[in-house]
Amino acid sequence: MLSLQPLSNPKPSSLYSSSFTPPNSLSPKTLKPIPTPKPSRNFYPSIHSILQYNRKPQLAGETPRVVVITSGKGGVGKTTTTANIGLSLARLGFSVVAIDCDVGLRNLDLLLGLENRVNYTVVEVLNGDCRLDQALVRDKRWSNFELLCISKPRSKLPIGFGGKALVWLVDALKARDEGAPDFIIIDCPAGIDAGFITAITPANEAVLVTTPDITSLRDADRVTGLLECDGIRDIKMMVNRVRTDMIKGEDMMSVLDVQEMLGLPLLGVIPEDSEVIRSTNRGYPLVLNKPPALAGLAFEQAAWRLVEQDSMEAVMVEEEPKKRGFFSFFGR
Amino acid sequence: MAASIWTLQLHTVSVPLRIPPKAVDFRTDDLFNYAFRRCTRKRTFKNIDVVASGDSFTNGDGKNAKNLSDQVMVVKSEKRSLPVLLQDTVTKLQESVKSLPPPTLLVKKHSGVSLAIGLSTVVILLVIMMRSYVAKSSRPKRPGSVADLVRRGQLRSDRRGISNPLKYDDPFNNPLVKISKNNSSVEMCGKVYRLAPVTLTKEQQAVHQKRRSRAYQWKRPTLFLKEGDSVPPDVDPDSIRWIPANHPFATTASEIDEDLAQTNVYQKHGVPFRIQAEHEALQRKLEALQSEQKLGELVIDPGAAKDFERPFKTRLKSEEQAEQGPNNRQIGSKFSESESARDSFVNKRSSEEMEKP
Repeated sequence: MLSLQPLSNPKPSSLYSSSFTPPNSLSPKTLKPIPTPKPSRNFYPSIHSILQYNRKPQLAGETPRVVVITSGKGGVGKTTTTANIGLSLARLGFSVVAIDCDVGLRNLDLLLGLENRVNYTVVEVLNGDCRLDQALVRDKRWSNFELLCISKPRSKLPIGFGGKALVWLVDALKARDEGAPDFIIIDCPAGIDAGFITAITPANEAVLVTTPDITSLRDADRVTGLLECDGIRDIKMMVNRVRTDMIKGEDMMSVLDVQEMLGLPLLGVIPEDSEVIRSTNRGYPLVLNKPPALAGLAFEQAAWRLVEQDSMEAVMVEEEPKKRGFFSFFGR
Repeated sequence: MAASIWTLQLHTVSVPLRIPPKAVDFRTDDLFNYAFRRCTRKRTFKNIDVVASGDSFTNGDGKNAKNLSDQVMVVKSEKRSLPVLLQDTVTKLQESVKSLPPPTLLVKKHSGVSLAIGLSTVVILLVIMMRSYVAKSSRPKRPGSVADLVRRGQLRSDRRGISNPLKYDDPFNNPLVKISKNNSSVEMCGKVYRLAPVTLTKEQQAVHQKRRSRAYQWKRPTLFLKEGDSVPPDVDPDSIRWIPANHPFATTASEIDEDLAQTNVYQKHGVPFRIQAEHEALQRKLEALQSEQKLGELVIDPGAAKDFERPFKTRLKSEEQAEQGPNNRQIGSKFSESESARDSFVNKRSSEEMEKP
């Protein structure tokens, strides 16, 4: 999850990112003052527990960055990823609009706990029943996060129209009075038919969510091919539901195996976590959990990399038994 | 235990001495009754009186026995009658007495062991309780249970407890990720993971990209045909994909005007188009209705009077009249188009719903 750097590197922050720039160029949005690293006497860089958390990530690329989150196969965690990455970005101080492009089967509102607040959708905007700003649902927890649903269940969009509508939406969001959002995240429906084509239309970059099994890998490969055919070159993959214990026992493909098969840079590796189901039940994304769950931390780091257009340089392979002290008997 | 000791002693004593069975029976019965009643060993010892009597041993009658209800009389006859036997019995008795550990010692020994056992049980219990308490206190409260679904109204149930939402609101301070000194492992959420470097190179990425571009050749669809349209001559029929009727994109009829939709999306302020159009249409209908009513007032028609009593019918009728009326024809063509499109859309939807099983 974290990148490997030469040991002689004195900057602890650069452990995370290879594209780290000095804090002088940080944007004025920085929420916290950047702690100046204390000079350590040791040869090794001192261990900072807040490695990649002690600064605001550097936004790379042009805004708004339109990212489509897709997979091909259903049930691999596209919507979960959208919700968590979106809210992570919002927590990091960026303005985010998440668009649920799953026309028939939308679920992003449920995951975010905003299902009771969706009154208008894009279909109503197109019809002229409401304005775009009325259809945007602002999250009360993080006011710089907004949700936009394409349509209500059972309503239909004309084919060949949705793609155009999304491009108009992005243009309209760019021209908003309060400024363009930093990120527009599009939750893509499963499959590669009309919904997929619509969802990827306005995107500049894509996050491919996959699980380490061959069914989802085959679909992911196909989807990557289609994305590349459509002109989206910046594709990163996110391996979801990874179980290090099964990888250790050779029962599951490792993340590096997945990467070898797809040949895509890694944005994140999300371990299997039962907290995901709980967070879905609550309508409270994992990244807001306190104490944070393992999967939540992984999503946060993935969001961090997305901001900096960085990719992983090291992956967690297996769990090592932690050294336990004498009094650990009383602990968990 | 006490009873067994006593039977042993009574047995050793009574059999050789030929004590009359009635008395012995009676007395032992009494004794055991008493012993069972009180259940105290000390007391039973107290009640034993060993009395040596001479020749004039008389059989205990009922009266005597009653007087000695709580006592056991062990009677020894003179040595001269059975000297050898008696000696044997006495030595046996002594041996048996010697072989038995003194009761105080017995008690002491037992108390020591039980004390240790008790102490250890208490200690074990304490440790278990302490561990469970520590585990319980260290375990985080579990949010995200089914109770949350109830709270959100997704599940119908009685109140199952409302959990307060937590905010992990400082993304810039996370002490749960620590990297080891040599960068080979990372500790996240209390678990240590080994790290392995990613080996994907740019060349490998390019190879994969080439492979995919060969394997999947795809072009974004540019032409959308309606049902009944003829296929254009320059289109390969194999490249045509059909969408099932229940697909959310399965309407090719564009009931929304594209330009209008675009302006709707770009609209920043003011009343949305459809709302305004509907409002204006209603206003026009109202005006038309009012003018019709004025006309109706002039001509007294009993049928019309009946209709006035039922406002629903009147409204319907007036709507029909308004649509037929000359005023409506002057309404902007854009609006009428959109209205008709909406009507057709509604009709289509209802027909589609009817078709569905």
